[in-house]
Amino acid sequence: MEDTQSNSPASAVVTPSVKLKLTQVSKTYSEGTQAVAALDPVNLEIREGEFVIFFGPSGCGKSTLLNIIAGFEDVTEGEITLDGRPVEGPDHDRLMMFQEHGLFPWLNVIQNVMFGLKRQFRFKPRARRAHARQFLQMVHLGEFEKVRIHELSGGMKQRVALARALAPDPKVLLVDEPFGALDAITRAKLYGDLQEIHQRTRKTIILVTHDAREAACLGDRVLVFSGRPGRIKADISINLPRPRDINAPVVAECAAGIMAQLESTG
Amino acid sequence: MRVPPSRIKYFVLGFYIVILASWQALFSAQIIPDFLFPSPLQVAQRLWELTTDNYLWPSVKATFQRMGIGFSIAASIGLLLGVVMGMSRVANSCLRSLFLGLQTLPTAAWVPVSLLIFGLSDRGIYFVIIMSSAPAVALAASDGIQHIPLIYLRVARTLGTPGYAMPARVILPASLPSIVTGLKLGWTLAWHGGVSAELIKSSIGLGFLLQMGRELNDAAQVIGIMVLTILFGLLLDRFVFGLIQKRILVRWGLAPRSND
Repeated sequence: MEDTQSNSPASAVVTPSVKLKLTQVSKTYSEGTQAVAALDPVNLEIREGEFVIFFGPSGCGKSTLLNIIAGFEDVTEGEITLDGRPVEGPDHDRLMMFQEHGLFPWLNVIQNVMFGLKRQFRFKPRARRAHARQFLQMVHLGEFEKVRIHELSGGMKQRVALARALAPDPKVLLVDEPFGALDAITRAKLYGDLQEIHQRTRKTIILVTHDAREAACLGDRVLVFSGRPGRIKADISINLPRPRDINAPVVAECAAGIMAQLESTG
Repeated sequence: MRVPPSRIKYFVLGFYIVILASWQALFSAQIIPDFLFPSPLQVAQRLWELTTDNYLWPSVKATFQRMGIGFSIAASIGLLLGVVMGMSRVANSCLRSLFLGLQTLPTAAWVPVSLLIFGLSDRGIYFVIIMSSAPAVALAASDGIQHIPLIYLRVARTLGTPGYAMPARVILPASLPSIVTGLKLGWTLAWHGGVSAELIKSSIGLGFLLQMGRELNDAAQVIGIMVLTILFGLLLDRFVFGLIQKRILVRWGLAPRSND
């Protein structure tokens, strides 16, 4: 097996190594006796540190593909490798952040962030707490350690969920339309936070959205999906400087370009 | 009519004063002979006598001890079976019908069987308590587990929680609101069963004092002990299980916080 992991930051800048590789990944559901194709075979390479957007209308297979990468759904055919190793089932190396925050109400804020750290710090609760604290500070909620979940606002809940997803240091962070339920002002702030965190941690992120502006604001690379069966229609690189403002004209222009790709035939 | 929430308690107080007053009025009217129908004051007096004669306190203690032991066992068995039912569809299908059936049985109906099996020992009282309340606890726990929001399980899995750790780290805490509801109901049923069993099977306890009152034709004692039994049952239901339940519902985001 070839080891594709590169530890040298210098070489990572020149040619970032392939983090996640999908080879001929397809998905068919059987509906009675009929097989329904949800996803045409997908070939995809996602490089280390890349911020990738799966963009498309609902029912285009983008969430299915994300669930497959997370391990919540099996592939019908094909293979997924992470750092050259095939992946199987859900685990915290491909951590998923959901549309609902899914914070555990029986735990307080810091305990939620510590939830995924049991394996790394098995017998060291203090180290676990210190580690979790760093990520809570990263999402600007350092003072809310001991607060109960029901006392947080919607935006704060998603930020705790983000800290909880980042704390176990996943190799890939999978994000499924996490800001849909939030108001525009809170959302704009979270876009800023997410970009800042991406800059700082150089984490590989895949985010699913049906909002072209969100795609243009966040992505290094936008994969445009089209529906039934789902397939990747276009692969767009976005080279706007960061941090990007969701309300900036360049972002809107770029979003229009993404929409045009979606609507173009072929 | 709209009554501000802060003033509802005065209405409740007034309601009980009216009940006591009607009781007293019924007594004063002399429709029923007074040895069959004592006044509130006579009842209070009899309870006071029982207290000073050192009858009441040991009996209350004995009842609570039995309830404590019996209900702890019942709750443990109920929870264990509830978790098994919540996690296995086969176990659920088998046990659910059985427990629903058992629940249709009045709790006092367990007393004769208990007499046959255990005679007059305290173990028989535990048996009645367990049979009365464990099914309710199990049913509530299994319902709670089956209705855990899927998001919790998915989050736990993506955070790398191994299967064996799921019950303790996610499944039980996530179903806690239902479990507490089940424990609350279970406690009420256990209280029914326990006092019923004491009527026949004991020489100490609230049920025993009730039965003793009947044997002595002492209506004041019978009614007094009934009132006490209601009060203790209510007190635990409202102020132990009720408060725990309320806190959990608020914390789990299932109840508005300002709903006092």
